[in-house]
Amino acid sequence: MTERTKDKESVVEKELSLGPVHPALIEPFRIRLFVNDEIVEDCELTINMAHRGIERLFEGLPVERALLIAEKVCGICSNVHAWNAVRVVESGLKIKVPDRANYIRVLINEIQRIASHLIFFGHAFEILGHETFSMRSFLLREVFMDLMAYIGGNRVMPSVPVIGGIRPRSDLTESLKRVILERLDDFEKKYLEYVDRILADPLVMSRLAGVGLLSKDDAIKYHATGPNGRASGWDYDIRRMMYEYKPFDFNVIVLKEGDNKARVVQRALEVIESLKIIRQVVKNLPEGPIVNRDWIPGEMDYTTMYFETFRGELMHSYSLDSQGLIRGYKIRTPTPTNLAAMEKACIGDHVTDAVLTIASCDPCLTCCNRVEIIESGKTRIMSEIEVVRKYGWRR
Amino acid sequence: MGLKAIARKNAIHAMLVYTEGCNGCDIEILNALLSPRYDLEQYRILLTWNPREADVLIVTGCVPWQMVEPLKKLYELIPEPKAVLAVGSCAVNGNVFTNMVGDIGANAEVVGPVEKVIPVDVKVPGCAPRPEDIIAGAVKGVPKLMEAP
Repeated sequence: MTERTKDKESVVEKELSLGPVHPALIEPFRIRLFVNDEIVEDCELTINMAHRGIERLFEGLPVERALLIAEKVCGICSNVHAWNAVRVVESGLKIKVPDRANYIRVLINEIQRIASHLIFFGHAFEILGHETFSMRSFLLREVFMDLMAYIGGNRVMPSVPVIGGIRPRSDLTESLKRVILERLDDFEKKYLEYVDRILADPLVMSRLAGVGLLSKDDAIKYHATGPNGRASGWDYDIRRMMYEYKPFDFNVIVLKEGDNKARVVQRALEVIESLKIIRQVVKNLPEGPIVNRDWIPGEMDYTTMYFETFRGELMHSYSLDSQGLIRGYKIRTPTPTNLAAMEKACIGDHVTDAVLTIASCDPCLTCCNRVEIIESGKTRIMSEIEVVRKYGWRR
Repeated sequence: MGLKAIARKNAIHAMLVYTEGCNGCDIEILNALLSPRYDLEQYRILLTWNPREADVLIVTGCVPWQMVEPLKKLYELIPEPKAVLAVGSCAVNGNVFTNMVGDIGANAEVVGPVEKVIPVDVKVPGCAPRPEDIIAGAVKGVPKLMEAP
């Protein structure tokens, strides 16, 4: 910024600072918009307002116990973190997972994916100012919160995966299968009406279309994975490479436009694909055991697993020592890279659209508060306290 | 019931502050307060984002050290009489984030449950608490506001 102000001294630039606690942002993060006559010229996001040192908490815990914390990394995508933490140890110690367990894991993941996308609609339309669409989205979401409570026993933390399978409580019974199919039919009818209504609304579409453009090259450069990358034309979905998703037939939605409208429409279409997967799970559910208890915690090398979450690419990586205790846990969530791409995307737009553009990448800041400092080519991770001691509060 | 209580009863404003939980509780609260299914507005409890308007402060999450000062400031900005709701296991006792008996012992990043920072009136436990429980907790905080001079 300083260089630019030196070049054009006649131009008066103003800083607009939002956050950390602000109505438009439920989670604490700080947006600094550098505006020139209501046009955003630069944007800076500070995301380290809520660091709780979760990676250090894993250090030295037994694997079975650590999965409790892994689920509490995030409350929207709780099942994703639990499942990926389990996949690391399953792949490292070569534990075989029964088919029925894999099917039910996919089922709960897709249920949560739909719930997460509906939160996105609620949040985006609330920022946009259309409260009716926001409320309708929250009402539609209750179907899936109920299903999660029936399957896992809790609306937010279903705790379905354990090492080697799933919890016996989350097994699907015949009556539960019937309930799921009934609710899905009912939901699909209402949801299609809802999406038609959004797409036909000229006021909403005029706010969304053509705003916050992110090109395919930028998406790849900033590694904006998940729905944001796919809405910019980057055909990248880890679900296609996962053996858990092999038995299911689904499409990966790729749109070319890369604006806010594309990001909304992409998620709207992805919900329909998820419904397709859920129906296939319930219809083709194989019989058999649900958990494989035949494993011993032992020494394991660093193992890394990637996973397609609702927001993008997730990485979990850790090793086990000879007693089966966790060493060196590392999580990389999609939000930091997505937010970096959105910093780029909101440049050149009107200032009222900037918050909407940032919210359109579906940021989830609970799980992304870590600091990476690159000094003379070496990469190492610093805790927040270390950073503040070294660089001070405002760096 | 005095005149002040009658006036206060018709518009109780709740403010939500997020001190690094996991988002689960926040969305359940937004569900409880806003969404058409568990509608708290039918009991005339409204959501606000302005501390000067608020009567009830709803806090979620274990409080990390960055959020201590903002939380105290928000609490001071709310005019008397005020009630504080701590929602979720993290806000009530720290949940898994304070200490899980790993190698590090107590977690240095987390200052602790909300009680250590500001006085708490009603605690709603659960990870995440059901919307019904949150509504019951919000209604329990109401008499304190009514009976204040």
